[in-house]
Amino acid sequence: MENQIKKSILISKGTSRLKRLVNFTIESSLFLVTSVSLVAVIFIVLFIARDALPFFKLRGISEFFTSIRWYPTGSPAEFGTLAIIFGSMMVTFLSTVMAVPVAIFSAVSLSDILPFSVRQVVKPIIEIIAAIPSVAYGFFALVIFAPLLQQSGGHLLGIVVWMVGLPVSLLFSYMIGGGLAGKVFKAPSKVTRTLIFLILEGLIVFGLYRLYSVLGKVTISSGTNALNVSVILAVMALPTIVSVSEDSLQAVGRDLREGSYALGATRAETLVKVVIPAARSGIVAAVILGVMRAIGETMVVWMASGNAAQIPEPWYNVFQPIRTLTATIAGDMGEADHVTGSARFHVLFAMALFLLVISFLSNLASEWFVMRSKKKWGV
Amino acid sequence: MKLQTRRILDRSFSGLGFFSIFLLTASLIIVLGPIFVRGIGAFIFKGTLEFRRLNFEQLNRGDKASIDAEIEKARPYRQQAFKMLAEFEKQVEDEEIPNSHQYVQDLREVKSMLRELLGPAPGESEPVMMRDRYGRTRWDRAKETLRSILYMEKWDYSDTGSMGKKVLVPRVEEYRGTSFEVFFPFLEENLENMMRPRLTFYWRFLTDASFDSHLFGGIGAEVLGTVYLVLGTMLFAVPMGVIAAVYLAEFSNETGKIVSLLRTFISTLAGVPSIVFGLFGLAFFINTMKVSGSKSVLAGSLTLALLVLPTIIRAAEEAVRAVPRTYKEAALSLGAGKLRTVLTVILPVAMPGILTGIVISMGRAAGETAPIIFTAAVSVGRPLTLLQTLDQPTPALPWNIYNLVTEHEAVEQIRHVQFGMVFTLVLLVLLLNLAAIILRARISKKLRG
Repeated sequence: MENQIKKSILISKGTSRLKRLVNFTIESSLFLVTSVSLVAVIFIVLFIARDALPFFKLRGISEFFTSIRWYPTGSPAEFGTLAIIFGSMMVTFLSTVMAVPVAIFSAVSLSDILPFSVRQVVKPIIEIIAAIPSVAYGFFALVIFAPLLQQSGGHLLGIVVWMVGLPVSLLFSYMIGGGLAGKVFKAPSKVTRTLIFLILEGLIVFGLYRLYSVLGKVTISSGTNALNVSVILAVMALPTIVSVSEDSLQAVGRDLREGSYALGATRAETLVKVVIPAARSGIVAAVILGVMRAIGETMVVWMASGNAAQIPEPWYNVFQPIRTLTATIAGDMGEADHVTGSARFHVLFAMALFLLVISFLSNLASEWFVMRSKKKWGV
Repeated sequence: MKLQTRRILDRSFSGLGFFSIFLLTASLIIVLGPIFVRGIGAFIFKGTLEFRRLNFEQLNRGDKASIDAEIEKARPYRQQAFKMLAEFEKQVEDEEIPNSHQYVQDLREVKSMLRELLGPAPGESEPVMMRDRYGRTRWDRAKETLRSILYMEKWDYSDTGSMGKKVLVPRVEEYRGTSFEVFFPFLEENLENMMRPRLTFYWRFLTDASFDSHLFGGIGAEVLGTVYLVLGTMLFAVPMGVIAAVYLAEFSNETGKIVSLLRTFISTLAGVPSIVFGLFGLAFFINTMKVSGSKSVLAGSLTLALLVLPTIIRAAEEAVRAVPRTYKEAALSLGAGKLRTVLTVILPVAMPGILTGIVISMGRAAGETAPIIFTAAVSVGRPLTLLQTLDQPTPALPWNIYNLVTEHEAVEQIRHVQFGMVFTLVLLVLLLNLAAIILRARISKKLRG
């Protein structure tokens, strides 16, 4: 219909040539403005690459990716970025691990569990978490969270262990206990079942208590470390993951859910076995977007990661300071700016190029997943 | 599985869902709580006599007569304190007391702390540095300084297993048996008489310039810089974003290759890390285009405009698409051309939605730090005039928060300024988002009704 209107009104014989010309000019100038985004992306790649390539010309490629020795001001200077890349990967991985379960459960609650009135409150909260500037998160991490972690980090970890462990263990011992009772006794009475449940739960609680007392003795020598940054990055990545995966959960539609309920499934079964698998690609896209947010984040890691270009000892030690690509660019540019043309200046652009490549790839991947889920549900 | 078990599993699944939402909300409260509580402390606090003196002498605020009267009231106590110190110093110098040399070092420390607390002694010539000219302007800081006069920090290494423990030893113990002994209780009892704390509502914190690298004064230059950056960003981003949105929604061929390419690039632009925008701004706008000699508000605004462009395009496109088709058809049937339809019908109807996107990206532009580090921000600077924004860098809230927390010479002393800045920035962003939420609610009401 739109096309008909177009033909009948705009390109009718009554339309003078001049008017057509005017229309064409308008349309093409609108197109030109729209392509600013395209031009911007191309220029970003060009200009970052233009300043990044001299580094590889000066120093070759292998040192950048294989050496962990980062001494840009030393003589001779060394530009091994491996430890810094490792730092970026480490905080990104940790924050993803922390954020994804919370985010997916939140998205599921938002789309299926919470009543409408609560949803109306939670959504703005998520928007606000997304809106808080990263420097404010960094400030919180450095001024409030880091001292807290340094003073009573062990106890904090212990509390987290209790908070996660207790409910999970209750559920676990109930399930396993029920199964065990059914295997050992033919027709277990209520008393035996309760007994087995209590024994199992007791064992687990004892284990948790031991873990808690071990953790209580952990002293964290510096509050600005990989753990601190990862927790904050997880919070920052939450809104992205929640809102995108909630959209894809919504897109699954009522009919699948109702079909599942009609077969007698509970809500949890419907969600786990039908809705979440159906929304899988959307959720994956959401997680990728969250990961990108964590990789690209600058201020929090710059302020609170400790900025030590090292691979922690042992490598999984999250209580040690690390350094990330973004923080290195932000921190070193101030000094490197005076030595434009040197390897020290260009290495930062090489890092930016690396970040850019990663973000392009993840972006393409998430686009592809979104496209797939859209196709699937015909939205 | 038994029905009972399935029911419990179902319940616990919902429980986990609630728990996640709880965590989400809790993390927001945990992050914002301290920032709000301590941030308000930059605006509402107990100001001392020194605060009022500074305000009068530097900014000509307040009533001369009442301040003079207050100074007169505080003078005897202050004079007494300085007199005690001076007398004992003389005794030490003349070696009237045994082992006098052991006091020299500590006495010097006490003297400098007393100056920090009260400002220069009455009758002394005016010091050059602003920080030496005034004592503690805030009552909480004054009490802290008093504490470090009254107690010495010592490290207890008796437990060799762990790190040394900090212990506070009353300083008065060092001076037992000397005439200086009475100084400490005197100071403790009469601090209020010397400082005359009074509840102060310092809303001009927002607009006052800072004195002596933020030791005194407000955050006016930073607030102004942020306002310039946000407005400059919008100046470039809004026209581009809205035009792009109109093109994508109204003019483009939906299924065309070029349009889908454009969309891909828009979402790619949205995914570029903010620090890369900063480098690009430096390499392109400053080093290549030379929009300004070095960092400037203009270069920063251009960089930020690219950063928020995808957000504005998406929001505006959504708003344009939400305009009912009948509106367009009515306009077209009245003989309006496409452009006229867009300008007179579609854009006005879509305006609230577009505004929502604009307001949200204003918040984003205000809070972004990484893109302006290399393109617009400096640590110390005067407030700019409108013309200077073309070629001068500016202090801005997000950058100066970073700077004051990590690079300032007296980080601990200006905590209230840091919290005040973060509070201001967060409040600004929250208010903008609140406006967006309200706008959106009104739109959905309109569409429903």
